[in-house]
Amino acid sequence: MKFRFCGELDCPDWILAEISILARLTSVKMKLLCSSVVKDILGTGIDYAKVTKLTSDAKYEELDVKAAVAALSFILSSAAKYSVDGTSLDNELQQLGLPKENANSLCKVYSDNLEKLQQVLSEKSMRVSTLDSVEWRVDYIMSSSALKQVGEPSVQLKLGRKDPTNASVTPLVFSVSGEKFRLLLRDMKQALSMMENLG
Amino acid sequence: PTVGVVICFTMLLVLSEEHKEHLRFLTSVELDVVKEFCRISLEFIRKGSNPRVYQTAAQKLGVDAGTVCHGVEGLMYLLTECSKLMVNELDFQDSIMVLGFSEDLKKELLAIYLENCNEIRTILSHMSMDLPHYQDLEWRLDVELASRALQRQVNPLVLLRFQIKDGESTSSELLQTDPVNLRHLTSTLEDALAEIKSQHCRRIMRNIK
Repeated sequence: MKFRFCGELDCPDWILAEISILARLTSVKMKLLCSSVVKDILGTGIDYAKVTKLTSDAKYEELDVKAAVAALSFILSSAAKYSVDGTSLDNELQQLGLPKENANSLCKVYSDNLEKLQQVLSEKSMRVSTLDSVEWRVDYIMSSSALKQVGEPSVQLKLGRKDPTNASVTPLVFSVSGEKFRLLLRDMKQALSMMENLG
Repeated sequence: PTVGVVICFTMLLVLSEEHKEHLRFLTSVELDVVKEFCRISLEFIRKGSNPRVYQTAAQKLGVDAGTVCHGVEGLMYLLTECSKLMVNELDFQDSIMVLGFSEDLKKELLAIYLENCNEIRTILSHMSMDLPHYQDLEWRLDVELASRALQRQVNPLVLLRFQIKDGESTSSELLQTDPVNLRHLTSTLEDALAEIKSQHCRRIMRNIK
């Protein structure tokens, strides 16, 4: 069976196994659990003590709690990844065997937070490297060992390059002569206008 | 028709004099103490050794910390060597016969060996020589619309970032490919996976068991 929230692929077996565990919750507890998992995906972390208290009514063991959180995390982030709307997700979860009220409360939390989820996921997307900072300085070269009277302006640029894999910033320093700098500026402006046309 | 060959090993573990000397300490203590030493040596095999434990044990027994250390390390070595060589029950019993242990002690050691043999083998397998291996993959689909040299183009590109783990360090490799190449890559890898199901591979795997 192909599911949209799994990207038109089969649902992973472990999710199917967790559906029965998730079905043990009441719809109110389900909503609270989903809110906690959403907070975790959005980056504010998850309070395991709170989650354990929520699920204690349904007699969840420690392993069940972790499994339920993992399954919900997968369902919510996968559905956001493939931009599935709330109603379709509701239908698909019910097809998997999740009771109607639980599916409804899950999808309500999902629809409310879809935009924020997608924003976080887009920030997590792969980046080659990011420009962290730009510093510049304009110098005037008066003379050098090769030529007594030089009299030329020169720009010193320091670009901070941030590596996404280890969050370290490496500086890249170089100097540009007046002419080259004008050329550089023109090309950057061209690229910028192209980007603005797209946006 | 192919004939599978099964080879049977009988391995007797030959203990060095020094090793026997270290383990002789175990004959002078109670069975419970030996059980405790066995538990400690298993913990050390799992997590690494902790010298403070030797001190506390030595104080309780009234012996030198060095003797305790040698006793526990002797046990560790005995267990790891036997697990490594997959010594069977009979050979294990024959090997420890030279140490002059009591019957109870021999039975206890055998029980502990059989119970933990597999776990020790798993730990040892993780310690063997390893090639750098794949850990994670991130990908991104880009469309190149213009460059300084040529504007108004539509050029799809796929960026891949592999995380490779080599022992303790992780490195990342950034690669770029176009969709045609990517399709070729995936079909080659799928062929490689399908190779496991071929006759030849199945035959070999049957015979290794």
